[in-house]
Amino acid sequence: MGFLNVVEICVSSICLALGIAGLAFSKSSKAVGDDPKKAKKRKRLFTVLTLFGGWFLIGTLISVISNKKSGIEIEFSLLSERLNIFGFSLAETSVISICITAIVLVLSLVFRFFIFPKFTFDNPKGIQNLLEIAVESMDKFAKSNLMDYSGVLAPYMFTLGVFMIFSAASELFGLRAPTSDIVTTFAMGIITFALINFFGIKKKGIGGRIKGMASPTPLVFPMKILSDIAVPVSLACRLFGNMLGGMIVMDLLKSALGGYATGIPAVAGIYFNLFHPIIQAYIFIVLSMTFINEAIE
Amino acid sequence: MNAIGAGLAMLTALGAGFGMCMATAKAVESVARQPEASGKINSILLLGCALAESTAIYAFVIALVLAVK
Repeated sequence: MGFLNVVEICVSSICLALGIAGLAFSKSSKAVGDDPKKAKKRKRLFTVLTLFGGWFLIGTLISVISNKKSGIEIEFSLLSERLNIFGFSLAETSVISICITAIVLVLSLVFRFFIFPKFTFDNPKGIQNLLEIAVESMDKFAKSNLMDYSGVLAPYMFTLGVFMIFSAASELFGLRAPTSDIVTTFAMGIITFALINFFGIKKKGIGGRIKGMASPTPLVFPMKILSDIAVPVSLACRLFGNMLGGMIVMDLLKSALGGYATGIPAVAGIYFNLFHPIIQAYIFIVLSMTFINEAIE
Repeated sequence: MNAIGAGLAMLTALGAGFGMCMATAKAVESVARQPEASGKINSILLLGCALAESTAIYAFVIALVLAVK
């Protein structure tokens, strides 16, 4: 514990004490009554002072106790670590994705049996509105793209989106998101590839699908085969790269802040772990639907 | 040597950024001309940006594969 740490602890304690004292004072002097605008301004100043002092004190204490130096050093691997569970060697991300699936399953059962019966037709509010907007827009969107098959595919696409968003949110708890492992995203891409071919063949028959591949001239046949194979690869790589990029940025931020990484990474996490994955899930779903639409048209 | 290769691979981001900027500029123009069509333009813009961005993402993946041993 160096001289600098002592100074830091002193400064942060003084900030915290001043802020709390100011807040308590302004609360007690409210009854006396002075200019409300001025009082509001003073209260804001003291709140900021309290927050800053608390954050600084916690960060200093953590970095002193754990002896953590701030500095940019990260290490990660493209494939996830292996865990040994009951004698089976499982990837960390697949264990996390199983947990997420269980959580989503339990949540959906809770919604079905405890929250849905409380919904009303007359004045919907709160979570009902949110769910209705989500499901309705998904249905409308699927209907415009997939025509006859929207009834089958819209629930699957919605599930995929929910899984992606939940798996990205698991990064907020310090776990590695399953979508930042290329195996998971590749599995999703291959499912999309299978759906494209399944519905294409179901709609047109095998002959029609092959004929559609050689539509202008038979010369483009190898090109079309190649572009079909590129679909799952591009879908998988896009999601994987985006999620891994977000994870690396968050890791960099955490390691750069060192012991002071108490509140700031949470604010950055709103973008990198919540907003960005929603956009990526949207893009994944839209692209899957567009490709299926192309096949059944 | 690997680090140099990874850095060179990320030059792809130039093209992706240029493509996205062109798409966004056109989208802004068309929204200014026809504000009522902004919903449709938004979704198309998002899709186009994602496709343009994916080239940069491929480069990023390749750079990672090169840089991480």
